[in-house]
Amino acid sequence: MWPTLKAEGVALFAISYDPVAVLRAFADKHGITYPLLSDEGSHVIRRLGLVNERVQEDHAHYGIPANPRHVGLPYPGAFVLDEAGIISRKRFHESYRVRDTGAGLLARTLDQLEPVADRAVTRQDEAVRARAWLDSSTYAFFQRLHVNVEVRAAPGFHVYGAPVPTGFVPLSMEVAPIDGVEIGAAEWPAPHPFEVKGLDERFWVHEGTVHGTLPLTFSAPPGAGDRVIQVTVTYQACSDSECLAPMALALSLPVREAALEGRELPKA
Amino acid sequence: MPLPPRDFTKIGPTEGERFPDVRLPDQHGATVDLHATRGGRKALVVFHRSADW
Repeated sequence: MWPTLKAEGVALFAISYDPVAVLRAFADKHGITYPLLSDEGSHVIRRLGLVNERVQEDHAHYGIPANPRHVGLPYPGAFVLDEAGIISRKRFHESYRVRDTGAGLLARTLDQLEPVADRAVTRQDEAVRARAWLDSSTYAFFQRLHVNVEVRAAPGFHVYGAPVPTGFVPLSMEVAPIDGVEIGAAEWPAPHPFEVKGLDERFWVHEGTVHGTLPLTFSAPPGAGDRVIQVTVTYQACSDSECLAPMALALSLPVREAALEGRELPKA
Repeated sequence: MPLPPRDFTKIGPTEGERFPDVRLPDQHGATVDLHATRGGRKALVVFHRSADW
């Protein structure tokens, strides 16, 4: 990426609150030669009004304990400057809730998103087939991609949705933590009620094909390299007459860091 | 209930402004003056989360 920008006469700078030693280790590991600037204490991030207080608000909202690493954290995003240093373009995430496809500055600019193709990974057992794929097989800094999971219950079977009866397991997906990737909350369609004759109980279930999504934001500095996203889909399938044991299907989704060869920065 | 969305156009310096002067140490500990180092070139300035986690 960087050699191309350099050849086009564009300077690249990355700013975070990391100490110099952390940035040096990162640059050495990934062969990065452009400036990684250390704003230890987040003084510049604060002066520019880019502190993400939202992380702490969100965590408090959802009852997640405060993390000192979230103090002084910037929103991930980028500025494009013209020759005079005037900001010609600015892109930060508009919202956690927008189901955008590749909202990233680079993604949008470079038009990297491909149609969903043959790159879906499939696992199945006797009652359920799960397929998973990413919006794109490549990512760029600040791009938001979604993990897509499609679960199909075999005819006559359903899988539980939340809330579940005690002792049962609802349909869910989990992405293993990975450096430089923010993992959002999974969204599933609402399950529908299901009543078993003779039982005074109502369950919430999914039948047929269900499509869930989970947003990922790539927030490590450019040059972080290729990644593998590990997704686990957990569910419990039942028919009218029997319930199978809870299952967890592991799916590995590789994603390459996009190269910028031959690309241009966005026009102001 | 999720928190309401935030208007990101209002966060930080806006388009049309000159990017503020920034002087910070780079990965080698050398102080970098962003505009001086840019030296009249266009630039992409990226704010990212920690490189360490």
